[in-house]
Amino acid sequence: MTEKLIDIPAISCRDVCVSFGTVSALSDVSVDLPLGGIHAVVGQNGAGKTTFARVITGIIKPDSGSLLINGKKILLGSVASSRSAGIELVHQSFALPPSFTVAEALEYGLGGGFGFFKKRDLNQRWRQHLEALEMDIDPRHHIRDLPIEHQQAVEIARALSSSASILILDEPTAVLSPSGITGLFKRLRRLSETGVTIVLILHKIREIYEVTDTITVLRKGKLIDGPMQLDKTKPESLTPMIMGAKNLKERISVNSGQNTEIKILDQNAVSRLTAVKQHALEIESVSTETTTQEVSPENMSINVYQHEIVGIAGVEGNGQVTLLRVLAGLSNIRKGSIRICGQEATHLNLSKRRWLGLRIIPFDRNSEGLSLTSTLWENWVASELAVAPLLRWINPMKIKERCKNSMSDWGVAYNSPEQKAAYLSGGNCQKLILSRELNDEARMIVAAQPTRGLDIGSTNFVWTTLESARSRGCGVLLISSDLDELFEISDRILVMLSGRIICELNPPYDMEATGRAMVGEAG
Amino acid sequence: MTGKIDIIIRPLVFILLATILCGIVFEISGFSAILMFNSILEGAFFGSRSLEKSLRWALPLFITAVGVGISFRCGFFNIGAQGQFYIGTVCAVYVTEYMSGVQAVIVIPLGMIAGMAGGALWSLWPGYLKLRYGVDEVITTLMSNFIAGLILVYVTSGPLKDQSGSGQQASTKILPSELRISDANGVSPTIIAITITVGIFGWLLVNRTSFGTLSSLAGRNPTMLKYQGGKIWQLGLASFIICGMLAGLSGSIELFGPTGRVVSGFLPTHGFTAILVALVASYAVIGTAFSALFFGGLFSAALFLPIFTGLPTSAIDLFNAIIALLITARITLGKNFLGNLWNRNHD
Repeated sequence: MTEKLIDIPAISCRDVCVSFGTVSALSDVSVDLPLGGIHAVVGQNGAGKTTFARVITGIIKPDSGSLLINGKKILLGSVASSRSAGIELVHQSFALPPSFTVAEALEYGLGGGFGFFKKRDLNQRWRQHLEALEMDIDPRHHIRDLPIEHQQAVEIARALSSSASILILDEPTAVLSPSGITGLFKRLRRLSETGVTIVLILHKIREIYEVTDTITVLRKGKLIDGPMQLDKTKPESLTPMIMGAKNLKERISVNSGQNTEIKILDQNAVSRLTAVKQHALEIESVSTETTTQEVSPENMSINVYQHEIVGIAGVEGNGQVTLLRVLAGLSNIRKGSIRICGQEATHLNLSKRRWLGLRIIPFDRNSEGLSLTSTLWENWVASELAVAPLLRWINPMKIKERCKNSMSDWGVAYNSPEQKAAYLSGGNCQKLILSRELNDEARMIVAAQPTRGLDIGSTNFVWTTLESARSRGCGVLLISSDLDELFEISDRILVMLSGRIICELNPPYDMEATGRAMVGEAG
Repeated sequence: MTGKIDIIIRPLVFILLATILCGIVFEISGFSAILMFNSILEGAFFGSRSLEKSLRWALPLFITAVGVGISFRCGFFNIGAQGQFYIGTVCAVYVTEYMSGVQAVIVIPLGMIAGMAGGALWSLWPGYLKLRYGVDEVITTLMSNFIAGLILVYVTSGPLKDQSGSGQQASTKILPSELRISDANGVSPTIIAITITVGIFGWLLVNRTSFGTLSSLAGRNPTMLKYQGGKIWQLGLASFIICGMLAGLSGSIELFGPTGRVVSGFLPTHGFTAILVALVASYAVIGTAFSALFFGGLFSAALFLPIFTGLPTSAIDLFNAIIALLITARITLGKNFLGNLWNRNHD
């Protein structure tokens, strides 16, 4: 029976390629997902999972390749043609208007429509629809008043209100509590029994084993394997497929030559100072207000000492962004305290925290680290001016001169300090940020994904920089979802999952154990 | 360097395009475009005493536009200059009312300070709503214009109405001549001195203080500035206040200078033209001087046109509107059209 189903795949991708500029998001992906059942598509961040879902739903038009739904070729890059072929996407973040009632959102939420309607008829009709799906939701409630689980359920109901035969859910568990996840999986099981084909974009191995029939692994835009029958696949074999253990070794051997010397120096420094370990950063049982963006930190404690790089490992969306925002004073904390270099800083704003030596290298250098449409010198001097009084007298000529010197010291390739930051390459952007943040007063550096998207040369530069900051006595907190990077320079690694620090790892690091911890397979 | 040249070339291209489009409309309507532009130029800049007449409008426009530019630069679309201008005149006229008989050297500066304070306050409440509650400043400042307009009507037709006046428009009493800083021509050493002072003050603020650099960063990427510990609300509030202050100052100059009294609904487009002036100048203070002169000239020509050519004043409104449209669309124009043009010439 299974073989017969595979003959006519529900979704059949042929040689699909997608690239954004010079970055290849999907390269030559060919995969057949069988009709019926629940299929998982897994991979790390940037593996191309979401792009894959968007190609199928017609949101993204691939550069080449073809797509067959239930054996029929469909037009690429057209949401309408995907929809008429029976494909519906449940978005990662929900797109229902919060001010609508459930019935209104189902009727008009996406796509619109005109004309008069009777509230009672509307509620009646959609109540029946929701009941048919065994969803216990009152259609008269407003979307904004619903708990997240129910909002998602309404999204699913919306997707199934047309004649959808294939339902795609992009990271549906990311915003749900454990009980919400169980409920969602039950619901998906029931749907699948009625004949709907379900594709789940996921990254937690435990969840995959709870609910799916087949699994397809993507890594760096390439199909690694799939769809594999889940009952014939062992969890242990999945982690290296997702993480790419082989790649890791090659890269370390490339880098090791350059960094050895610094490391030796550094270990001496550490051993000298272990007797008087001083705190650079103390986060004590911090909890934040919950948001819909990602899981929020709950009762989180992190200590970073001077002369130390502490890595935070974790799949993205487990509270890292909120942690950084808390440190930057941009998110409120509900309880707990923060101390920087021994000084109470819980209620200080960022400019006061900067005085204590805190430096932040944010996740997105293009939107949070730099103002791309501003000149280099303005970007460079921003941190200095932001903490100064508003009417501080400045001399742009002198600032430009200092900026030039600093950029030369840090090896930023630039034409003129008057040039817009947008014209710098990614590596040079990050160097500019480093040159601004890592001055002599820096005592505690929080670096979030500092090498994302950088080539090997720039990556090495950033690593060496963080290591020499450590030699100078700085504490460094390195938030990254790139295990290669964490293993390379961290003195110890804390694993973050669902807003909590679940374990501490010490070198020598074990790729598989770390990977399992990151996806919630503690062991 | 490209950036600086762009700032000069871009408005010139807009003006050229607007001229062509306007010319087409003129021709269709049965007027000779060449003749029209000739008389506009003459009315604005080259006729006898026409430069002086243009300056009469350009000077207050410049003062208001410097403030508008500072606010826009910081990323806040404060389009309430018109209302702030009105409240400025109202505050200044109350000072003259309560201090009648006091020496002019005291009354005039106090009136101007009151005008600035009034304008600043009128700009402050939309600013506070924006920064504290995220209320869209475009809507609040726009609506504050209408409220200010009604306050002006109330003051001129109620408490301070000139009972002897018989004109259609209600107004306050005309100020005694010792309280005037210019005659009806509106160009006097005092007004020019004030305008130059504002220019220097504005230029220094934008180019030589941390406020200038930070507000430019805040306007372009507030998120980045937040990650630097920048206080957006301080910058924002300051820029709202400065915008209101300068519009209020402009209003009080209008009272002590050319108009000599407060007229219900007078200069109804002053604040909006100032927005155009600031936009064309890309918020640069020196550019604003040229752009104010240009729009002041157009305004002056608008008064001159119907008399000499039979072309309605609305021809100038048409011209302004086309420039406004082109400026609003400049992001795409700048990147695709001008940017490509520039690259092609220099590659």
